[in-house]
Amino acid sequence: MLEIRDLVVGYGDVGVLWECSLHIERGEVVTLLGANGAGKTTLMRAISRIVESSSGTMTLDGIDITKAPSQDVVNAGIAHVPEGRKLWPEMTVEENVLLGAYPKRARAATYETLEEVYALFPRIKERRKQIAGTLSGGEQQMVAIGRGLMSLPELLMLDEPSLGLAPIIVGELFESIRAINARGTTVLLVEQNVMGALQVATRGYVLETGRVVTTGTRAELLASDEIQKAYLGL
Amino acid sequence: MSYGLALIYGVLKVINLANAGFLMLGAYVTWWMWSTWHVEPLLAPLVIVPLFFGVGFLIEKFLVRRVLGQEPIVSLLLLFGLWLVLQNLAYTLFTGDTRSIETPFIDSSVHLGPIQIAWPRIYVFVAGVLALVALQTLLTRTQLGRAIRAVAQDRDAAKITGIDVDRVMGIAFGLGIALTGFAGSLLSLLFSFNPDFGRTLLLKSFCIIVLGGLDSFVGVAFGALALALAEAFGVRYMAASLQNLISFVVLVVVLVAFPKGIAGMIRSLRRA
Repeated sequence: MLEIRDLVVGYGDVGVLWECSLHIERGEVVTLLGANGAGKTTLMRAISRIVESSSGTMTLDGIDITKAPSQDVVNAGIAHVPEGRKLWPEMTVEENVLLGAYPKRARAATYETLEEVYALFPRIKERRKQIAGTLSGGEQQMVAIGRGLMSLPELLMLDEPSLGLAPIIVGELFESIRAINARGTTVLLVEQNVMGALQVATRGYVLETGRVVTTGTRAELLASDEIQKAYLGL
Repeated sequence: MSYGLALIYGVLKVINLANAGFLMLGAYVTWWMWSTWHVEPLLAPLVIVPLFFGVGFLIEKFLVRRVLGQEPIVSLLLLFGLWLVLQNLAYTLFTGDTRSIETPFIDSSVHLGPIQIAWPRIYVFVAGVLALVALQTLLTRTQLGRAIRAVAQDRDAAKITGIDVDRVMGIAFGLGIALTGFAGSLLSLLFSFNPDFGRTLLLKSFCIIVLGGLDSFVGVAFGALALALAEAFGVRYMAASLQNLISFVVLVVVLVAFPKGIAGMIRSLRRA
């Protein structure tokens, strides 16, 4: 569904992504692995058109989104749950979640989707009147994912969702990701927690200094010597 | 008028120095419709609010957006220049003569025991409160209002969520100008005015916003109340012609003592 070809992104003269190519099929959970600064976050920001790419193409179901404004990308069905969650700290939990349904594609179904999100994360329903900035990290992450789901995405991009969370919460989080995927949403996942990511992912790409260096199915990646040495410490 | 200034600052991070010009134009449009077509001045906001909204939206789109990412001085100069243009436009169209609106309603008053209050003052007060309530409802109960606050709090997060940030900024600017025009129309019932109308009010607006904090509308209302009380009590002890001095003194004192405004001070106390 998403096809990226030879994407190049640079901030000023410094290149961050070099001719990155990858594709995601409907129903998959694809993970992007790589050290800090490998370009994973930049790739996501390029897909949601927060950063400008200098060359290459991106198509979603055959439609070119390389130069589309960010609101059109969301409206085409790509939701981005950014690193650090980026909630609006002074608004309530419910206001944060509701704004996820701002794109036209999701507006009509706003309150039905809200109930679904609350069913998936009962904890944020309990806290819906609370100011978002006062929630714990795990709860904020749920709000951020809930906000992403409110736009009824075909593809949900999660950037470091487990960052800074307690191990028990991380387990719950990966369960939620599995549940979201089971309902038919495709997932692109960036994770520091490589073991956790490879448990939910069907396929993965490894980025190094802005280039795709390895790709393969979960089994292939788990078996590869490089991955074992570099990321799993085996 | 202060609401308009705070709304625009909150969303665009631009201080609208042209605000006084739109306040003055709001008063003139009310006067002009009354004197040429005998339109009841109380009905003038029905024309002014949508008209000023449209003008504000276009000014944002074609002028302000070009300078948004730049140094603050650029937008300050642009909007200061716009104020001068508006002022001179008014001098050309309406001359420099002082104008005022007189209708039976404006001259009427009510006796409450020993005190006598002019009806227009009551009306202006009530309309101001209603405008605040309407604005607050818009900002908290509608998706558009939430989107305006979202853009004010975190522009990148708003983009990622699929909010058309450019459009929201245009709407916020338009609303700010519409509120200011509304305020101008109301004030024309109370005061006589010339094209320089609004100059001291602009300074008072800054003072109110500094008192109340730049991002809270309830704070702005309290700031206005605090300043009004300070002025009212101040004139008991000093010459009335020095009334405007009070806002500047308050402004300087607050900036030196509480650089984050009263609201900011309360917030940091609560956190401590």
